[in-house]
This record gives sequence, C-alpha cells and structure tokens, in this order.
Amino acid sequence: MDTRQKLRTYISETFFVDAYSDQESFLKSGIIDSTGMMELVAFLESDFGVKVEDHELVPANLDSIDNLVAFLERRTAARPAAAG
Amino acid sequence: MCGIAGFTLPAGTPPEERLARFGPRLRRMTASLHHRGPDEQRGLVLDGAAFGHTRLSILDLSGGSQPMRDPATGLTVVFNGEIFNYLELRERLAAQGYPFRTRSDTEVILASFLARGIDCVQDFVGQFAFALFDPRDGLLWMARDRTGIHPLYYALTAEGLCFASEAKAIFASGWLQPRLDPAGLKQTVHLWSPLAPRTSFEGVQQLPAAHVARFDGARLQSRRYWDIDLSPENVDADLRLGEAVDRLGAALGDAVRLRLRADVPVAAYLSGGLDSSLICALAQEQLGGTLGTFSVSFAQARYDEGEYQHEVAAALRTAHRSVRIEDREIGALLPAVVRHAEQVLLRSAPAPFLQLSRLVRSAGIKVVLTGEGSDEIFWGYDLYKETAVRRFWARQPGSPHRPRLFQRLYPYLQLSRQSPEMLRQFFGLGLEEPDAFDFSHRIRWTNSGRVSRFFSADFAERTRDCDPAAAVRDSLPPRVLSWPALPRAQYLEMQTLLSGYLLSAQGDRMMMANSVEGRFPFLDHRVMELAARMPPGLKLRVLDEKHVLKRFAAARVPARVLQRPKIPYRAPIAEALTGPDAPAWAKELLDRAAVDAVGVFDGARVGKLVEKLAARRAEPSEADNMAVIAAATTQLLSRELTGPPADPPRAHLDAVQLHAEAR
Repeated sequence: MDTRQKLRTYISETFFVDAYSDQESFLKSGIIDSTGMMELVAFLESDFGVKVEDHELVPANLDSIDNLVAFLERRTAARPAAAG
Repeated sequence: MCGIAGFTLPAGTPPEERLARFGPRLRRMTASLHHRGPDEQRGLVLDGAAFGHTRLSILDLSGGSQPMRDPATGLTVVFNGEIFNYLELRERLAAQGYPFRTRSDTEVILASFLARGIDCVQDFVGQFAFALFDPRDGLLWMARDRTGIHPLYYALTAEGLCFASEAKAIFASGWLQPRLDPAGLKQTVHLWSPLAPRTSFEGVQQLPAAHVARFDGARLQSRRYWDIDLSPENVDADLRLGEAVDRLGAALGDAVRLRLRADVPVAAYLSGGLDSSLICALAQEQLGGTLGTFSVSFAQARYDEGEYQHEVAAALRTAHRSVRIEDREIGALLPAVVRHAEQVLLRSAPAPFLQLSRLVRSAGIKVVLTGEGSDEIFWGYDLYKETAVRRFWARQPGSPHRPRLFQRLYPYLQLSRQSPEMLRQFFGLGLEEPDAFDFSHRIRWTNSGRVSRFFSADFAERTRDCDPAAAVRDSLPPRVLSWPALPRAQYLEMQTLLSGYLLSAQGDRMMMANSVEGRFPFLDHRVMELAARMPPGLKLRVLDEKHVLKRFAAARVPARVLQRPKIPYRAPIAEALTGPDAPAWAKELLDRAAVDAVGVFDGARVGKLVEKLAARRAEPSEADNMAVIAAATTQLLSRELTGPPADPPRAHLDAVQLHAEAR
C-alpha cells in the first residue's frame, strides 16, 4: 500500500470519515479534533518511524492528506543524510 | 423535595366511578416516582383532575402533606421544590387574611395563587415545579422555576393532559407508547441535551424553565414569566469592584441563608473548586460550625481533586466524607444513570454524582447546597475566555500573535505542544462570522456533533432536516441576537447546557435517584440579576475569570483554591466502557446486532470504535469518548425506557394512598 493509501485508510478507520478530499483541512472541516491530532502524530511515529518534533506540529505538515504525504516524503528523503 | 404526577379527566363523574376508572393509573404514575419521595405517597382524584405526590419531607414534617387543597375554593396543588422566602410571603398573606393551617411552603403557593393568580411565581424566591387545579374554572396550571432546577414533563393524551416530574411516570400512565424522538436525540449529540420543550421521547414535552402554562381541557398555552436581561443597557457601568464585592456578598449571603431553611439538617457538596468552597464557607459561617460536606474523588489521578477537597474541608472545619470511584464502577453505574437521567449522555460525569448522592443519603442527609450556576453567571467557563480571544482575533484575523493566546487556555488539553498555526486551524472555526448567533458555541457544537458520524444511514436520513443549531436560534428572543458575544454566550449556556444537562441529567436526577434535594445559591434570581448588572470587566477581567467572585472569596477560602488552574469536572469514559473490564451490559448492548436493532447508530462503525478504544493504543480523543458514550447511553435509553413499561414494585404501588374528593 502506498503512503497516500495507507494514510487514507488510517484516517478513515481512526476518525470514522468516508468522504473527504486530499486537500481538505482535517481541523477546519472537523475530521479531527485537537486531541485527535496527537493520535495522528503517534501513528506517524509508530507506523512510519518518523519522530515528529514539536516545531513540526504545524498544519503545513499535518493538516491534510496532501500535507502529510509531502511531509513524510521530505522526512524519508532526509533520513539517510540524518543517519549518516 | 418530591415527585409530582397527574392528569386531567372528564368532569361530572361520581367519586367512586372516578376512583375506579382513574385510580389505578394515578397509582402507577405516583409509584413510579417513589425514589423522589420515599416518605409519603398520596393521590387525589378530583372532579376534573387527578394529582399524585411522593414526598421527601423537608419542611413542616407533620403538616405538609400533598396533594394540598384550599378548603374554601377546592384549589389543589402538587409541588416539587422549595419556596425559600415562604415565611415572608406567609406573613404577608396571613395579614391579608388567608387562614393558614400549616407551616409549609406548599400552602403559600395556594394562598399566593388565590391572591394574584399564576403571576404569583414572580414573588417566589425558589426552585419549583408545580401543578394547580382550579375547580372554579376547571383550569390546570403548571409552573417551573427560573433556571429549570426541577423537572416537569407533560403529554397530551386522549383524555386531556398528563404531567409528571419524570417521563417514566408519563409512560406508567399507559396513555403513551414510549419511543425515542429522533430530533431529540440528534439535538442531544450536538447540544448535550434536547432543547426544551423537546425531550428524548416522542410525544413527551417538558415545560421550559421560567415558564407557566395553562390547560383549558383542549389547548395548552405556555409563556415565559422571567428572563435574564444581559443587555448592555442593563449594566451598571459605574459599579466599581469594591462596591460590587459588597453587593455580591450581601446577595450570596442571603441566598445561602434562605437555602439553609429546613426542618432537617442541610449539608453541602464540596468539589474542591472555588464555587462549592465558597458556598461551604458561607454556610459554615452561618451554621456556626456544624456543616457536613460530601465529595467524590477518583482513583485515576488525572480526574481527582481529592487533595483540594481535603484542604478546604480542613480549613473550614466541616465534617467531611468522601467516596472514591474506580473506572469500572462508572460502567456499572451507567444503566441506573440513564434510567434516571432519561437522556443520552456525552459525558460519564453524572455517574459519580449518583454515587455521591448515595453517600449523602446513607449519612441520613436529605438536602445539600451545591455550587452550580456560578460558572455561567460570572463567566467562569473556558468557553467565555475562548470566545473573548476569538473575538479579539477576529478583529485582526491575519495576526500571528493573537492565536497564541489559546495556549493560555485549556492547559489540560496538551495544546501547549501544538503550534499557533495548528491552534489557528482549530479555533478559527467560524472566525469569519464574528456576529453569528452561535459564535461562542460553534466549536463546541461542531465537536460534539461529530458523534453523528456514527449514526446509521437510516437514522441520518430521517433526521436530515433537523438542524440543532437552527432550533436554538429560533428559540431565542430577538433581543438576545443584538447582545454582545459574551452575554449571548451566557444566555445560550443557560438555555442549553445548564438547564438541559447540568441541572437535570447531572443534577436533579442524580440526586433524586437517592432521594436527595440540591439547592443552588448561585441560581437565586437576585444573585443572577446582580451579576447581569455588573460590568463585563468585573466578571472576565482580561483572561481572569470570575474576577469579582474571587475577590469576594479571597478572605473565605484557602488561597490555593483561588489560585489553582480551573479544571473541568470530568470522569473516565473509554476506560470504563471498553476493554477487558467493560461491564457485561456494554459488551451486550454495543454488539453490532444490538446496535443495529435499535437503529440509531451504525453497528459496524460502533464496533470498530469499541475495538479501537479497547486496544488502548493512544489516549482516547474527545471525539471518540463522546461517540462511545453517546452510543452506549442511546442503547441503554432504548432498553431501560422504551420497552413495555414494567410495573413499579408491588410495595410502591400499595404504598400510594388514594382518595377521591366529592367535588
């Protein structure tokens, strides 16, 4: 399953929503509440192996499927460098 | 005190026939309210109406029996509650010539009505729900106190009108098949309660707070007799803090004094917060050291306020008792909670209150003072601060700094970990409409409304046209729409959460389940009206809530209580309803087939939610907590109240003493 699909499945099953676009803001459209955001972060950390720093907890990284995909791509691309 | 029930019946039937035809119905209704009045149960079948009463004796223990009749006119009353200024009213009415036969406040209602009709409610400092039958014109009157402390339900039946303190008594009449009301349920998951006059049940209405109603045999007409005026024109702009503190002290002191009137001991609830601590301090001062206090504490540390409760009790030297509650007990208590509350819940917080009233009753106490109402009238809730910050931000929506203020609110929500940009997404909801009537409540209502995601497709379709926020808007008096955001927030808060949930599901019902009466000094209308006249800055001073109240409390409650961060009263939900320790009823009722059979929620979705919460992978979110308890309590409501009504226990039926009057 690619990243996008994996995220969509997680969001649908965790927050019980079916119809939403990849651009839609989770917070503004009420898909996820502020406490649910922490749940999403825990999922990214456990299932994608990224450690999300406090300064990264911003809508540009987390607040839509598109933003999440882009964030994960950046982090995955950066990982070898960081490890090296 | 007490439970009331009754109905109208065709006039002109002889007493024996009346008793035979309508007695059994009245007996069942009255017996179903036994818990509200275990001391005495009586019913009276009149020519035109039948009244039943279950009594919790608090005033005039020997002379206050009900239903009570005025011998001269036949005017008859059943009454639940207290008229706290009955001694003053009694003196005045006696001077005008009314021949009082008892020392009860019940008789004061009869005399007051005879003196000035239903407008007599204007004279009452009290909390009440009552019905009057006037044989002179055959009219039935109903009245409910200003904030809805005491409940009053009614239904129109084939024979006329039927009323009672609880819906279960209306079902016990046999006139009505109990069925859940879809619109009432949808309103509850958005607003936390059905919006009066709507209830959770089809065909059953409630008289809204501050209303009187008149039934003439065919038509019911109700009207509001009191309202809070929060308009800027009503504010005394010159009122300074010192003077406001003095006036508040006098009003609240008198409110407590009147509420200590009883022929049995009066104790108090102590949560460890400012409001209840202050009430306890004032009561202890007036009682000269004999106050008993009661608290509930939680095994789970994040919910527990035990430390503060003990500190206040020690400082005030009260005789303190507390009961500790475990997660699994909350699950075990919920069926009884729902049976009494008669509505769907989004929080488990009423359950500890049921445990608390049990403790009070086991200590032999029937009356407690409690601190509800202060957060509404002095703007204590975070909702007011949130609204103030949102208004401030809406004036410069582009400001990067203004949303940072949200980090100062909700310290318990881990928001400090989240960036201002994130907060902005969340708290920015509706920011572009700062004048919308629900600006203050839109975030809360949107959050709780997420529960509707779990509705079954069929139920969602059936309630598609029901818009809970629009129903609130339509219920508002037009002038409220022109008030500033904070007074409007208070009005909405009092109409929805206070009256519909805090005073009922979490208030009266949880106390009366164990035959305990609560009294609410902050909801004395003189205190509410004083607070309404105070300049906004005395209530919410920048972001310091209940400013004037804290000043008044400073010399009376421990400093630590004044300085502590405000923590909302909460109780565990997901931990109590899911996982290996979940109660058997939850496993059974949240099962897919069981959920689908009731038809409100979608069985498969609820099943997934329960699985997710049972796995305990993460701290349960607000949305999930609300959804799982809404589903669980909907299932309970259906099981406990909409099945074929079980007959009240034989002993309760037999205990009702029935009489018929000749006229």
